[in-house]
Amino acid sequence: MTAEPRLRSERTAPVQPGAEPGLGLIRRPAFWIVLALLAAGGVRMALIAAHYAATFPIALLTATLLFALLAVPFSFVVAELDFLEREPPVLLAVAFAWGGLVATSVSIPGSGALDDIIAKLGSPGLAADWGAALAGPTVEEIAKTLGVVAIVLIARAQVNSVLDGVVYGAVVGLGFQIIEDIVYAMSAVALAGRGDTVEPVFTTFLLRGFLSGVWSHTLFGALAGAGIGYLVVRGERPRRTRIGAATLAVLGAWASHVLWNSPLLRDGLGNGAVALLAVLVLKGLPPLVLIWLLVRSAHDREADYYAAILVELNDPELITPAEVEALRTGSRRASARSHARARAGWRARGAVRRLQHAQARLAVELSRGTTDLTRRHLEVRRQRHLLVSLGHPEALVPEGKGPWRRTASAVFSTALAVAVLWALISSLGGA
Amino acid sequence: MVAALGGLAFGLPALNHALPSERPVRSDRPLEIGGGVFVTPPPGASIDLTVTRPAEDTGKVLFRLGTVRYLITVEPYDGSLSAAVARLRQRIIGNSGYQVTGPDLMVATIGGLQGLQGGYSGPGRGGRYAVFVADGHTIEVTVSGADLDLGPTLSAIEKSTRTLEYHAEPPG
Repeated sequence: MTAEPRLRSERTAPVQPGAEPGLGLIRRPAFWIVLALLAAGGVRMALIAAHYAATFPIALLTATLLFALLAVPFSFVVAELDFLEREPPVLLAVAFAWGGLVATSVSIPGSGALDDIIAKLGSPGLAADWGAALAGPTVEEIAKTLGVVAIVLIARAQVNSVLDGVVYGAVVGLGFQIIEDIVYAMSAVALAGRGDTVEPVFTTFLLRGFLSGVWSHTLFGALAGAGIGYLVVRGERPRRTRIGAATLAVLGAWASHVLWNSPLLRDGLGNGAVALLAVLVLKGLPPLVLIWLLVRSAHDREADYYAAILVELNDPELITPAEVEALRTGSRRASARSHARARAGWRARGAVRRLQHAQARLAVELSRGTTDLTRRHLEVRRQRHLLVSLGHPEALVPEGKGPWRRTASAVFSTALAVAVLWALISSLGGA
Repeated sequence: MVAALGGLAFGLPALNHALPSERPVRSDRPLEIGGGVFVTPPPGASIDLTVTRPAEDTGKVLFRLGTVRYLITVEPYDGSLSAAVARLRQRIIGNSGYQVTGPDLMVATIGGLQGLQGGYSGPGRGGRYAVFVADGHTIEVTVSGADLDLGPTLSAIEKSTRTLEYHAEPPG
């Protein structure tokens, strides 16, 4: 007798569907506490922004625009992760604001104080070498993780899979990353002593946004969020196991952050752009790969769960088996859209995108046990009829090609972007 | 959650505040500032542990002599001495109420580093600054304090500033 092969997705926690939060949010005391914290953080950060706006208005505007742009690719990745069971925009906004306003407000005095404590209890040399590696991650990872805890406190039903924890953690991290980078850019402008100039902003953007951007707060936040998601979702596991797993995830985020900030390998690989790039990869890639595997596993678990629900419909007008397969991953969804565009034009591409969204919403409503699904069925059928009229009735991934071509294209585009930005950094003297 | 946030935002600063922030330093041997730059501290000085950070390519040391602050900052730099001085002057007058009080004068250390120095004044305080450029680094010196306190300490600080030296390797 042979055991059935275990799916990779089964290694993560199951999905536990929850209802929409709606206006129930405002009846929870935790919501108002979080709102008050956001307001306090907002005032603190507004004071800092006002100071810079008075002294360096052009640099501040440039930094805000540049780092807001940096948020776009991260938002796309998070949106793809969150495709099947969309988190409510209001909660995503709270998570983003927590990262940008509360976590930053707390981290500025907290990290500075811990750095000083390291100097006082150890030595100034220890603080110079390891202060940034120990103080920043310790305070910042706790402050950001509390953002996911805040989401759980105000809308527990919305964190119903490990992937939800990942999404909220990543959004908290993204908010933190953008505001922190703007503050760093403005500090560089002030330190340069050349008045309201934008060169230090561009240098900060290239170094912090580009070189450090991939393995930064969004990534660390996602890992810590996965731990909180596990803690909340795995109700059937012993409390000790759940707390242990959550602690391990937060420690993992902390350790990744420490490794990134640490002086290790500072001089290990010599000088020059290639050596610097090698150090960045050596320090940043292991956590990136580890976290990506974890996130994929959580994503697959959620995809398996909703795919199983959609398969049971057994109604090809709502969803075909090939469409269920296409819906499972972001790259397959994108391939199905590209295939539609190639076969039937841009209108078909848009219709496939809307069809996929409608099918995902239908799956979520089914998981919640909603009895009246008329509206969701109508959404799907409307797009299906449009696709039929365009001569592309099924939103499937073509055989033999598709995701790998998109992946190759993405890798090539990324390599090209790396080369272009690297040339820019070198020309600015950053490398 | 609120308690944890409070611990980070207020608890850590409170603990930091409770710990002494100054440590006496010997004035009979050079102290590494960072970036290969050394200075012999003035007698009776303490270093401020919250500011002093000797690193490999950069460095900062803040000496305190009573109420007088004596700060030396080392940073990588690839410009001219006059541009470095202009940058520091810009930062000084960027503080509300602060003015540079005259033209810069040449200054040299015992080890042969050439620099420029000047003076400035602010609300209730006065100060001196000096800038040196050595092997891809700028060394900025700023001294500030109440006028009455500054007078008695200035000569010891000037003597200390003249001991600034750059070594690619630590002195034996």
